Amino acid sequence: MDRSLLLRLLDHAGKALILLVFLFPFLWMISTSLQTFEETMSFPPVWVPSSLQWGNFAEAMTAGPFLTYARNSIVITTAILILQFAVMIPAAYAFAKYTFAGSGLMFGLVLLAFMIPSQITFIPVYMTMADWGWVDTLLPQIVPFMSNAFGIFLLRQYFRQIPQEIIESARLDNAGEFKIITRLMVPMSMPALATIALFSFVSHWNDYFWPLVMTDATHVRPLTLGIAKLRETEGISNWNIIMAGNVILVLPILIVYLFCSKQIVKAFVYSGIK
Amino acid sequence: MKKTHLLCTAALLMGTLTACGGPEEPAATGAAPAAQPASEKPAEGGKTTVQFWHSLGGKNGEYMDAMVKRFNDSHPNVEVVATFQGSYDEMVTKLQQSLPSKTAPDVAMLERAYVEMFADADVLEDLGPLMKSSNLSEGDFVSGLMGHSTFNNKLVSLPLNRSTPILHINKTLLDEKGLKVPTTWDELKTTAEALVVKEGGEVKRYGLTMPFDTWYPMAMITQAGGTFFSEDKKTIGFYDNGVGSKVFGYLKDLQGTGALFYPPAKDSGNIVNQMFTSGKAAMMFQSTGTIGSLINTAKFEYVTAYLPKDQKFASPTGGANVAMMSSSGNKQAAWEFIRWMETDPQGALPFILQSGYLPFTKAMAESKELQDLWAKEPARKVAYEQLQYAVDTNKSVAWPEVMKEFNSVIEAVMYDNKDIQASLETFKKQAERILAGQ
Repeated sequence: MDRSLLLRLLDHAGKALILLVFLFPFLWMISTSLQTFEETMSFPPVWVPSSLQWGNFAEAMTAGPFLTYARNSIVITTAILILQFAVMIPAAYAFAKYTFAGSGLMFGLVLLAFMIPSQITFIPVYMTMADWGWVDTLLPQIVPFMSNAFGIFLLRQYFRQIPQEIIESARLDNAGEFKIITRLMVPMSMPALATIALFSFVSHWNDYFWPLVMTDATHVRPLTLGIAKLRETEGISNWNIIMAGNVILVLPILIVYLFCSKQIVKAFVYSGIK
Repeated sequence: MKKTHLLCTAALLMGTLTACGGPEEPAATGAAPAAQPASEKPAEGGKTTVQFWHSLGGKNGEYMDAMVKRFNDSHPNVEVVATFQGSYDEMVTKLQQSLPSKTAPDVAMLERAYVEMFADADVLEDLGPLMKSSNLSEGDFVSGLMGHSTFNNKLVSLPLNRSTPILHINKTLLDEKGLKVPTTWDELKTTAEALVVKEGGEVKRYGLTMPFDTWYPMAMITQAGGTFFSEDKKTIGFYDNGVGSKVFGYLKDLQGTGALFYPPAKDSGNIVNQMFTSGKAAMMFQSTGTIGSLINTAKFEYVTAYLPKDQKFASPTGGANVAMMSSSGNKQAAWEFIRWMETDPQGALPFILQSGYLPFTKAMAESKELQDLWAKEPARKVAYEQLQYAVDTNKSVAWPEVMKEFNSVIEAVMYDNKDIQASLETFKKQAERILAGQ
């Protein structure tokens, strides 16, 4: 066997091993979601369910107003994404291509926002929202996330790599700033935008703490809280039902990822972030 | 913990300041039926809305929802809106921020160990006068479950979904070896050791297991004649008298012979339940909350017994109480809900029967339904009878904070084989520091 083939084999074996490590919890979740309650209680754990219990999914979906939760999750994440892009693209463009009084300081503030965890800000934000009478609506789950500091930072890096000459020539052709953004900057930054969209989508789709804090009523709560209610506080939980709920929760993320994955790889390969 | 504790106290203080303020502004949103508990306006159709926050998910959550529905169906003038607010700890966070923001509920389920903290911040309604107006007295309740109900001689909460640790036994395995159910520490040790099965130096079956939790060492501290906090609440009550080193010495000894399996902290409850149901552990210290599932899943003769005694029988209690927020603007309706839940035969009784939580009033325990259930499932009766030995020696405003430190002691001793006496000494100093800060 020549050396290069051996190296290739080792390379593949290593990748397969890493893949397995990352897939393991995932496979376990899917396996558990198709087991009977007795199987979830056995030790050593059951790997292959004796018969596939599709009923678990039905049961997870009848726990609480499932469609309401799902609708809220979709509305919240979609609204956040639209607002974020409306704020982020012009902001990143300004930071990338203009130098104005205080621009450095302002960008510093954006980065600072990026570093403060939400557990620190939630009390003042909650109080503000309570003052405005927004608590227990969809608004506090959307509006505080209008600006995405990480997104502005990543997009600025990306915009800076787009040569100034292209922008200048567009200006010679009488293109306004808005047109330059929509016709030039955005199409050329698709990979970065896809990455930001995916990260943002996943983090808000999976968010548990913030909606729990900001809402009380069932009809404005997202899926994460609906799934959490499947768990027993004390006693023995029906893990098969909980995992079925989790599979349902993860599916949209997988679908979005399948759409974005090519773009994401591009973003990290070609962007200034190495 | 220190920080959050301060934050919480600050938040709670603000809550008390604003809660006694003037009339409430109605919410300025049309988007949702606002949770403005303190507005005296009856909701549509002349109904008073009572906001009730709880922490019950899964099947028990469904039983709880059914109970609230029973109340609403039988009370045309009151609408109780029950909301799941995450775990007991998350509930505390929610309450801490909702009090100063005037978005607090009328009635809340509080894990019993947090009752003192909220009572200390003066945000819980004194239920004494309300009890009197309904001709109820504390004597109607099971005394073993009233340990966290009074604060500074005021009745601030009543038991609701309460549990206690108990010994769960795979009697089939004990019978095989001709062993009796252990009632003392010494018997527990010999029984657990006799049940161990080793193959090639590897333990295939353990005698005893328990979840990673402060509950079980705390039970044993009281059994060995100590208390968790000293009488004056300035220090701990199990160091100077040697009780602490006796308890942990006993556990380490069992662990050393393979008789005790002490599970990894993460997900320990699930791990021990699985080991017990699959016969990998013959006995288990575990909450009464698991009895229902174990009756249904155990493929062997399953019985329960008191936690074995050393000097005496003793068990702490767990689960949650129900309390009324003093900021509530619907106190009469809120009290009607609590009163109905605690005493009406259609109130919490069906919930207790379905969920397997402990009956908390004497009338409940004497009811025909419960007596029938106990006749059918004696495992549940043992838990109730053990309540005569229930004692909560960890009652303190500082408990949540001290608990975190005590967890570290358990980890150091049970996982890292650290010196018991030295670990306890460190813990004693930390506990004294925290208690002095109260």
